[in-house]
Amino acid sequence: MARRHSEKQDDTEINITPMLDIVFIMLIFFIVTTSFVKETGIDPTRPKVERATQKPRGNILIGVTESGDIWFNKQEIELTLVRQRVEEATAESPESSAVIIADDGAPTGVVIDIMDQVRLGGVIDISVAAELEGS
Amino acid sequence: MKRRIHSNEEEAEINITPMLDVVFILLIFFIVTTSFVKELGVDLSRPSNEPPKDVEVSEVIAIKIDRTGTITIKSRETDIRAVRANIESALAVKPDASVVVAAHREADAGILVRVVDQARVAGAQRVSLAALATP
Repeated sequence: MARRHSEKQDDTEINITPMLDIVFIMLIFFIVTTSFVKETGIDPTRPKVERATQKPRGNILIGVTESGDIWFNKQEIELTLVRQRVEEATAESPESSAVIIADDGAPTGVVIDIMDQVRLGGVIDISVAAELEGS
Repeated sequence: MKRRIHSNEEEAEINITPMLDVVFILLIFFIVTTSFVKELGVDLSRPSNEPPKDVEVSEVIAIKIDRTGTITIKSRETDIRAVRANIESALAVKPDASVVVAAHREADAGILVRVVDQARVAGAQRVSLAALATP
């Protein structure tokens, strides 16, 4: 009697192995593709351009407001801190590139100073965020 | 004998339910935190602090942006819409020329980005920034 009962249970049990396979593959996919992008905390008006490329590894985002204030990871920072922040970010993900999200009316001098600091921090691939014309 | 093996197998089976719980929580965490939004950007390259390479003056198309945002190409004031045509005609004469954009520190970053974009659209292979000494 006991034996028959256990056999019945075995029959009705759902085989979850294929589901587990899928779940593990999804898990690995999301772990690999996740890059913890730190938002700048501001949304400046990006300049409109005709040709812009996507920056798939643009994990270091630095925002510049119209008045020249620098934002990183939802807080305003001084120019002298940019290098340190970039070094911390590259320690987390070494292959990241930097994107400076400068306002249309931000002073060029601040943007160039940030680029110098980012380069000193060890990131060579620097670009300035833009918006495609007509979008 | 057969029966003993069977009962042994049943005892040795590992309970995978807690592991499944953890895996699902991880999966949900990574799904929620993943962001696939990537910034659009224009690459800006700025010469580093290395000693400058000797570039023949004739091979450089110099674009100057002054404090108010006025664009000057070859000592002639130009509108942003005419930048592309100007660079194209200059490149037709000197196909290997590189474009150097020198912007005033207080000029709008948007104008700089647009000028670099127009230079790229015009077909310039090398576009670089130069610091304009503040008078």
